[in-house]
Amino acid sequence: MSNFLQLLFIGLFEGSLYAMVAAAIVLVYKSTHVVSLAHGQLMAYGALAFWFTLTVLKLPFIVALLLALIILAVCGWLIERLAMRPLIGQPLFAAFLTTFALFLLGDGIFQLILKGESTSFSAYLPGGMTPVLGVSLPTTQLISFGVCLALFLCLAIFFRKTKIGLGMRATAEDHQLAQSTGISVRAIFSWIWVISAMVATIAGIALANVMDIYFPLPYVGIKGLIVALVGGLESLPGALLAGLLLGVLENVSAGYLDPLVGGGVKEVAAYVLLLFILLVKPYGLFGLVRIERI
Amino acid sequence: MWRPCGVFDETYAQDMAIVRTSRHWIVLIVALVIFFLTPVFGSYYIVSFLNTLAITIIAVLGLQIVSGFCGQISFGQAAFMAVGGYTSAVLTTKLGLSFWFALPLAGVFTGLYGVIGGAPSMRIKGFYLAIATIAIHFVTLWLLLHLEITGKSMGIVLDPPRIGAFEFDTDERMFYVIMPVMIILTYAARNLVRTRVGRAFVAVRDNDLAAQVMGVNLYFYKLLAFFISCFYAGIAGSLFAHSTLVCHPEQFTLLHALWFIGMLIVGGLGSIPGVFFGVLFIRILDEFVLFVSPLFADWIPWLGLAPAAGLGVTAFGLVLAWFLIKEPHGLAHRWEILKASSRLYPFAY
Repeated sequence: MSNFLQLLFIGLFEGSLYAMVAAAIVLVYKSTHVVSLAHGQLMAYGALAFWFTLTVLKLPFIVALLLALIILAVCGWLIERLAMRPLIGQPLFAAFLTTFALFLLGDGIFQLILKGESTSFSAYLPGGMTPVLGVSLPTTQLISFGVCLALFLCLAIFFRKTKIGLGMRATAEDHQLAQSTGISVRAIFSWIWVISAMVATIAGIALANVMDIYFPLPYVGIKGLIVALVGGLESLPGALLAGLLLGVLENVSAGYLDPLVGGGVKEVAAYVLLLFILLVKPYGLFGLVRIERI
Repeated sequence: MWRPCGVFDETYAQDMAIVRTSRHWIVLIVALVIFFLTPVFGSYYIVSFLNTLAITIIAVLGLQIVSGFCGQISFGQAAFMAVGGYTSAVLTTKLGLSFWFALPLAGVFTGLYGVIGGAPSMRIKGFYLAIATIAIHFVTLWLLLHLEITGKSMGIVLDPPRIGAFEFDTDERMFYVIMPVMIILTYAARNLVRTRVGRAFVAVRDNDLAAQVMGVNLYFYKLLAFFISCFYAGIAGSLFAHSTLVCHPEQFTLLHALWFIGMLIVGGLGSIPGVFFGVLFIRILDEFVLFVSPLFADWIPWLGLAPAAGLGVTAFGLVLAWFLIKEPHGLAHRWEILKASSRLYPFAY
């Protein structure tokens, strides 16, 4: 039983990381209808920027975090301005492929910066274990789980209460209609990229706390994309639920099936889940079912 | 293409012909003869470069059919290549079959596997399908890494193809195996897209609902596109495995599949010559980066000693983004413009 609880908790923690990446992807999709592969890179660069400000510049934690967020916000704005805006009016698939090109570009620069080595900032964060229900868990992971829940709460409030958040929801419904009510759709697009880059940064920092900063880090973004698809591309609660579900599924299936098939279940569990969900519910668990016309 | 005055098409067959005049035939045959003499006077570097180029072209041709013509973007081409390579390896080493039978069998088996892999396309499309094919990639590679018959993490070591006692064990010899296959498959693809099937593919790509309304059997043609595409991937994988003489999951990563899609975009979606332009352009870019990266390392010590891998991917990403934003029709579009303007010279149109 305690083994199961251990797997469950670790699964929930990892799931919360996936959910944050998925949230960043869902944010962009909701407003611009672009599925972004680039968020894996934004996440990795967020972790890298935080590593740089915290361990190289030796800034205090809060300042380092804010600086990393600002750096990535500028990155997100640049992506929107230089790569996404010229593609407005072109097929959405071109934008999707452009984010894929950005993923590769980011991947190359990431490799150039790291030079095949790995770095980590977990030594600069408080260590220690906290017992929960008879299972001892790393304190930093508990904190990052709390951060994830707080992040989703903030996003929910942001979309319901603030003017810009409401504008984003209107833009998500219909671009032309939103523009005719006086919302600047271009400004909304810029804002959404900035915000989602910042969400990706937080996800990246939380993730780099668990795994080192090295070349597979951006590829966790693909997991985030899978979570977004499973939850439904328009749905933030879907992203949270699907993320937690995936995290738990990966760890529990790996814990119980690995001895039977000789390891590696964790690497494919997500993909099998995705294929299964897409065959049963093509638009994800909470996604909008689109009715197409000719 | 350039045509002298007084050459008119009098029959439908003439109008559809790829090679139109006797002068074209002469140019074509001379070019082929020179091409096939490359291993005789070319260096080892050139020959092995051409071999990998040709194998990549076969794989990307398959991708062009399913993604460029039928509109189903697939990130699974590297995994399908792996299936082809492994099929061929298992058939030749475990069952003792000759390479010449294993090659088409690998293609057919990969095609059937691709029909399973393409099955999600019956329910989903667009980004959803693209991400589903990434899932198929990882599941396939996981299977190859964990099944008993594929040698688990050891991979499979192969023998070179042979006729009687003659072994195709060097790159110069493999050249004569790979190139005819590539030329036949290119010819087949070039003609396939002009047939009823090809037109159905294009209809599905342009608007699948409209195609269905007009009586195109959507599921049949989508799965057929996956079958043909994976047939090409299987052939490419088999040739690749038999020229490197080893089959291992590490040779077929997601990055390879991403490169294939990138070559397709640079070359131009929906064009068979575009495949050649795209593959050639990206491969030359890659070799160029490999060539200049030591210079970069000298100029900018910050980059470290071996920036080749990172620089290559960076350049590739930049080129890809530039093409998508500035030249979305790819190099094939430029080629068509060049052809038209050379035919009409000295008039504008």
